[in-house]
Amino acid sequence: MINLELTTLVFMAVLSIASLIAVYLAVFEKKLVKAVIFSAIQSTIYALLYYLLMAPDIALVYIPVAVGLYPAVILLLISKTEKEERD
Amino acid sequence: MRKLIGLFGVVAFVLGFSLLLSLGGFMYIPKSQPRVQPALLDLKEGYFIKDVFYIEYTLYGNNFLALIYLNYTYNPSYIYATAYSPEAVTAIVWDYRGLDTLFETAVFYLAIIGALALARGVLRVYKPHGNLGMSLIVKTVTRITSALIVTVAASIALHGHLTPGGGFQGGSAAAVAPLLVLTAFSLYFLFEKGVSKDLMLIIRSIGLIGIALTALSCYFIAVANGSRAFVFQNQPKFMNGSRIDVSIPSHIGGELISGTLWFFNLSEFFAVMAGFTIVFLLLFMPEEAYRGESG
Repeated sequence: MINLELTTLVFMAVLSIASLIAVYLAVFEKKLVKAVIFSAIQSTIYALLYYLLMAPDIALVYIPVAVGLYPAVILLLISKTEKEERD
Repeated sequence: MRKLIGLFGVVAFVLGFSLLLSLGGFMYIPKSQPRVQPALLDLKEGYFIKDVFYIEYTLYGNNFLALIYLNYTYNPSYIYATAYSPEAVTAIVWDYRGLDTLFETAVFYLAIIGALALARGVLRVYKPHGNLGMSLIVKTVTRITSALIVTVAASIALHGHLTPGGGFQGGSAAAVAPLLVLTAFSLYFLFEKGVSKDLMLIIRSIGLIGIALTALSCYFIAVANGSRAFVFQNQPKFMNGSRIDVSIPSHIGGELISGTLWFFNLSEFFAVMAGFTIVFLLLFMPEEAYRGESG
């Protein structure tokens, strides 16, 4: 049979690298709405990592705050100011 | 040049996280064999735990505190160290380390006060004409899902002593429902229904008063009986050769309540939900409401 512990560890490593890619895309994205979506993707991957690390309480806080409330506040901010990062 | 620095930073992060994960494999990640369950000894009054668990202390070393928490958060055979809660995280958050949670709630309270102070200059909110909010499909779906969200959040908060969750988890999940209603309908819909900043302030104050009263409840019982008790005391304690037999009942009507934990979770649920809703009500105010003298 496959080694379950090693599979979990490899899956967590892949998720971490994917979250890093999402953060990189969020930082270097000029259209701000897309950047918020990348940030929400990173938060989803982090919530999955917290679940795999056996911390369900933290995952239960992280999902509503970082995927629901925080992107909502940033999108409201974008709608009141500019929608494109100028540089 | 900026791209090069960004690329170097990302490579450093990747290597650092890989190192962290491979180190974590030796310490925290679940292993293939289950957790070792040491035999629970028959403890009498007055034993120091480190003397009784000497063998386990030498085996577990730095994880000795984790061993104590996992063995004593629900342990009816040793009532002087238990919190009567199968959920170890909630027992640690509200019973063993209750003062830390008190300060965290105070920090959240001050943050909401700061946001309220910034929005002092609201004159009057005029409702514009026409159809406000999103389409009919979105409004119907929001009507259904916001009720479901509040139900699940209440379940997370009130079952915090049995399943993962607790007051803050349930409160932050319940704060998503007013945000959905604000987005799909409009701010004026909530004002017409009576959900205003003042009502949310009252609910938040009721939650915080509930936390304070529950923390001092054992003290009031002790004053009425003429004995001693601690602040944030949940179950009877044994200190310096004397028993402090003041406690909140762990079972009510045959159901497990875990003493003060259920009341803490309920109060924190209301406080956190009302706090988040205040911030969103202030953020969704239009710019024209702040015209005029604003400090």
